[in-house]
Amino acid sequence: MENFEPIIVAFCCHYCAYTAADMAGSKRLSYPPNVKIIKAPCSGKIDAIHIMQALQKGADGVYVAGCLEGDCHFKSGNTRAAQRVSYIKKLLEEIGIEGERVEMFTMSAGMGERFAEVATEFTEKIRKMGPNPIKRAAKAAC
Amino acid sequence: MITAERKPMEEILEYVRPCQRILLVGCNECVTVCAAGGRKEVGLLSSALQMAAMKEGRTLEVKEITLERQCDPEYVEELASQVGDAEAIVSMACGCGVQELARRYKSMRVYPAVNTKFMGASERQGVWAERCQGCGDCLLGITGGVCPIARCSKQLMNGPCGGSTKGKCEISQDVDCAWQLIWDRLKALGVEDRYEENIPAKDWRTGRGGGPRKIIREDLAQ
Amino acid sequence: MQDQNISQSSSKVLVVGGGVGGIRTALDLAEAGRDVVLIEKSYSIGGLMTLLDRTFPTNNCDLCTISPHLSESGRDLHIELMTMTQIEKLEGSAGDFTVSLATQPRYIDLEKCTACGDCQRAFPDCVRFTPGLDHRAPTCMRYPQATPYAFSIDMEKCANPEELAKVCRSEAIIINDAPKMKDVKIGAIVLAPGAEVFDPSVLDGYCYGSEPDVVTSLEYERILSASGPTKGELVRPSDGKKPKKIAWIQCVGSRSVKEGCAPYCSSACCMFALKEAMVTRERFSKDNEIETTIFFMDMRTSWKDYELYLQRAKKDYGVRLVRSRPHNIFPDPETDMLAISYTTDASAAAQTEQFDMVVLATGFKVPQEMRDLAGKLGIELNEHSFAKTGSFDPVAASKPGVYVCGLFEAPKDIPETMVQASAAACNAARHVAQHKKAAEDPAELPPERDVTGEDPKIGVFICDCGFDIGGVIDVNRVVEAARFIPNVAASEMVGHGCSRESLERIADVIKEKGLNRVVIGGCSPRTHETLFQDTIRNAGINKYLVEMANLRDQDTWVHRDNPEAATQKAMELIRMAAGSVRLAHPLADNVFPVNKDVLVIGGGVAGMSSALSLADMGFKVYLTEKTGKLGGVAKNIHRNIEGDDVQKFMNDLIDIVQRHPNIEVITGSVVVDHSGIAGMFKTGLQIGPQMYYRAINHGVTIVATGALPNRPDEYLLGKNKAVVTQLDLDGIIETAPDKVKSWNSVAMIQCVGSRSPENPNCSRICCQSTVKNAIRIKTINPDANVYVLYRDMRTPGFLEDYYSKARAMGVIFARYEVDAKPIVEAEGDGIRIKFFDPILGRDVSAFVDCLALSTGLVADEEDTEELGMIFHLPRTTDNYFLEEHVKLRPVDLPIPGFFVAGSAHAPKSIRDSIAQAQAAAGRAQTFLARDAINLGAVVAHVDGNRCAACLICVRACPFGVPFINADGHSQIDADKCHGCGVCAAECPAKAIQLMRFEDDQLCAQIDALLYGALERMA
Repeated sequence: MENFEPIIVAFCCHYCAYTAADMAGSKRLSYPPNVKIIKAPCSGKIDAIHIMQALQKGADGVYVAGCLEGDCHFKSGNTRAAQRVSYIKKLLEEIGIEGERVEMFTMSAGMGERFAEVATEFTEKIRKMGPNPIKRAAKAAC
Repeated sequence: MITAERKPMEEILEYVRPCQRILLVGCNECVTVCAAGGRKEVGLLSSALQMAAMKEGRTLEVKEITLERQCDPEYVEELASQVGDAEAIVSMACGCGVQELARRYKSMRVYPAVNTKFMGASERQGVWAERCQGCGDCLLGITGGVCPIARCSKQLMNGPCGGSTKGKCEISQDVDCAWQLIWDRLKALGVEDRYEENIPAKDWRTGRGGGPRKIIREDLAQ
Repeated sequence: MQDQNISQSSSKVLVVGGGVGGIRTALDLAEAGRDVVLIEKSYSIGGLMTLLDRTFPTNNCDLCTISPHLSESGRDLHIELMTMTQIEKLEGSAGDFTVSLATQPRYIDLEKCTACGDCQRAFPDCVRFTPGLDHRAPTCMRYPQATPYAFSIDMEKCANPEELAKVCRSEAIIINDAPKMKDVKIGAIVLAPGAEVFDPSVLDGYCYGSEPDVVTSLEYERILSASGPTKGELVRPSDGKKPKKIAWIQCVGSRSVKEGCAPYCSSACCMFALKEAMVTRERFSKDNEIETTIFFMDMRTSWKDYELYLQRAKKDYGVRLVRSRPHNIFPDPETDMLAISYTTDASAAAQTEQFDMVVLATGFKVPQEMRDLAGKLGIELNEHSFAKTGSFDPVAASKPGVYVCGLFEAPKDIPETMVQASAAACNAARHVAQHKKAAEDPAELPPERDVTGEDPKIGVFICDCGFDIGGVIDVNRVVEAARFIPNVAASEMVGHGCSRESLERIADVIKEKGLNRVVIGGCSPRTHETLFQDTIRNAGINKYLVEMANLRDQDTWVHRDNPEAATQKAMELIRMAAGSVRLAHPLADNVFPVNKDVLVIGGGVAGMSSALSLADMGFKVYLTEKTGKLGGVAKNIHRNIEGDDVQKFMNDLIDIVQRHPNIEVITGSVVVDHSGIAGMFKTGLQIGPQMYYRAINHGVTIVATGALPNRPDEYLLGKNKAVVTQLDLDGIIETAPDKVKSWNSVAMIQCVGSRSPENPNCSRICCQSTVKNAIRIKTINPDANVYVLYRDMRTPGFLEDYYSKARAMGVIFARYEVDAKPIVEAEGDGIRIKFFDPILGRDVSAFVDCLALSTGLVADEEDTEELGMIFHLPRTTDNYFLEEHVKLRPVDLPIPGFFVAGSAHAPKSIRDSIAQAQAAAGRAQTFLARDAINLGAVVAHVDGNRCAACLICVRACPFGVPFINADGHSQIDADKCHGCGVCAAECPAKAIQLMRFEDDQLCAQIDALLYGALERMA
């Protein structure tokens, strides 16, 4: 597993996390290119199915990034997203995949630093965990 | 509505492990409403099963279909063209649906993916509670609209028992004492005296006592 | 408040000057339904800002932030743009002026010129430089995004006009073009002519002009700029080598009594020097090979969050700051370098240091032609030849109906210019009636092509964005890779995608190839999506058939250290966008009527000024105030630095506001809830001691909640009677002058509770309060010793005059270092203060009768947080409201329909608060001028056939929008839906889709990103 470059999907809400990502850009804060952002209007829009699909198609880690607690532009989308993420964690554990591959983060629009920090730390965590086990199995099968 | 919840993944995986192609069938009625077996849960389970299979080094093809209702033969018929070379059908409907599929597709293995739990009502978003056991002889008219059979842990016909404390059942502080609820209702209706009337022991023959039950509407039955 | 009786017989406003300020004013007026004539003396609009490489504090490329504005102003039908035009004369009075305009010949027919560039290529030999470095052909466009998009010819430099005319295939060159005159009836004038940059060649000590490597900051911007003469390569003009040591010298031509120099501070230079040094370090200094040094007197970084920028420059970018004012630069022929000799506080002996390049931070000056203009218009100028305005009427010139903004009012940076531009628009709009609505004319747009049933044909257009994208990734590879994406029918690079040229190119390709979907790989959809949506709509395609891949903010800007990975990522982002747009449907916007009432929160000077401006324009205003009375902090101030009676002004303002028929003042009220969207907000108030509830329906909201006077627990404040704040001192001087007369000595300490770890920003107002109070004390009691202990004296613009005056009056200014703060002890009825005086080079101990602390303002944390939560408005880390765009949208908040004014934005003086209040009113007015609001198309849609009527959406919706209708399925009304998509995510039957974010579109992005990921690993 040398040279393992994890694929990370970050579902970001428009008002906070996506804006924070842009902010990280304007501040030129670097973070690993492994992180690919998919924009949604609210973290509450991210369906559990989207998270599962990303993992099933080969992502090594997935996170949902929404507004800070109590600051959701749509009142409570972020708390619903957090609930879904913890549900998915349990479902993953049930099929023997580490729940830590999925996380929920919150940040405000101005937190470019936090965006970069979360992206870096999550990528490093997944890098340490190694590839998504479904890929490992696929490789072993060859 | 009939409520259900997904079986532990290991159990479902055990069923499908020998298969390479399955049909995963949801139901757009009760199990959709209780978020156990609608289109969305079908999608989630499908992903989870495929990932589990891949992790074990196998491939599993899952075809997802959600029927309007699995407990009606006409809807179940819709599957006929879809069964194809599937090796098994996994149903996310209640037990009625699973059996209907098994009846129609006789040569096919049919597995349940949910445990059918009870007939209940939704208390709030995401929480369902048991309300009826289908005893076949409804008492609600005399118990103020609260069923002692479904909601009293002991199914007492004349309660409460000594385990009722501050309106809660002794089995758990989360369970309301049904007889307390009955009393509150009777009081609210101003018919406290009805509480004094002894309810005779229940004749369980209307329930499961007479074996599997059937309803026949003579005006409708063909 | 310049004039009460307003005549509106003319229907147009004349805006003079096509820089950022003039453009903003023109756009605001046009949006507010006024006809505008925008004149510009140059051949294209854009002004100084388009010459800049990047702007602080975001360090963005300017062209991409301003070009949408330029294109906007070119597109707006209510703006008549006249380039190469100046005012000849003005007659009449406010509301009924007649202006004579003189237009110089361009020698090019704007209607015919296609900007092909043939003429420029045919005559490359006649070149000229502007400003000093930029290669120019006799026919020239100033920068790639020029508006109007046509060339102009410098006929004097052209030896053979006939030959030149033949080059043009469009026959657009008119050799015998002649000046034209035109009279226009106008109601008001906004002057935004800008200023010129100081020419340092008059200062012989700096060798400017004789040494090519001594450049002005504007020339340095051109060297850095991707569209500049070196195409964005940092090289020395003398020998083309990359410099290793660069110095900036601040205050060149400013803060100086030398012949030809200006005594005032030019305000923007500290920040732009920091920016240039940071950009140099960031973009050109691999392995820290370039050393950047700034020689300065005071670092004046006092606007919102600028102090943090200064800290970043020092800490994160390693910009070296030397407090000194060098007067001489000597070329050293041996080393081929430039020697600067300077002295610092640390040692009186002159030191010499050598640099490869020296950048002179030159300030702003009013050119002669503007003095002539003022004469023609009959407006007064101040002693520095800038337009004279009132302390309480910051954008009104001395003549009714004439307003000013930007550099011509005083030296300033872009955000302040933008504030004044919107304020001027607000004031000018009162003189002219709204034009008759030519109902949102759909006939203007070409018919929308019905693409249903067509196979997707996607066009991919990738911006290189100058250096910003193209400088990191291999754009050509990304363009090539895109050709292999399914359904992609065209893929090309478009340079600056937002430039007029590129937008036209995109439209042409759409038509030529019959595209029905578009992917733009460029900057953030947050800033540019609407521009591209308009573009494809103009090309006949539904505007929702475009998707942007954020290659800049989320790729090249953050992965510049790894170009290969960034290139790969760009390809993936393009694939994802293509995957998503392939499944996009044409959508219709949801349009609803606008409520034209206004809610202003906060009854201080800012809130009242905003309320008054809007009420005067006929809008109904609800002005809420938390306390029992209007006035805010300004009600406790007696004098401003100019010496005006603040109390009288405030009492008059309160009186007018309270009696205004269009204003309802609601004191003792707090906001408790809020719902709705711009144009149809509903805000709940709890009012009075009984806390009764009242809901207000309104279309826009202005947040003017102010800030609190800071009272930190430092230097015995609150513990010793002799220790007061500057605000307290203002009251003592006004009400107890005898007490002031009895004082022998007074000390003032700056930056108390500001620029500290707890409150890292500068409070902006304290230096001027200090200078104001010091001058007043010296006036009452000339014998008193007044010591001001400061870190940097921040008196930008003409405030510098007062700083000079205070020094001339004998006020002693002594600088202290943050790690050697003054020591304060109680002694008798007074205070013993000990500090180190760097000029004397020794410790000083003095007994003072009064110690005034410059404590500034802090955000009202509780209030701001509460309101921020209710309105979902973001705040800065120090709890001020965060505006939409710190550079170009300083009074717009990120939630549409919300504007901010006054100290709720950042600490501000009364004058600045009024300007911002008028700007907020002006921006609000642009919104209120509309009759309908467009909610866009992002709403949830229920498929009734799939719906199980389970109520999950009904319960999940944060706004209570879905309901089960008579048909037995869930219904979500488009006018109420906020478009969050929670319902779609929770629906167990997957019966709900959020338009533009449909499940298959999200899945397509996942699939596109992860295409082959499983196999690759295997």
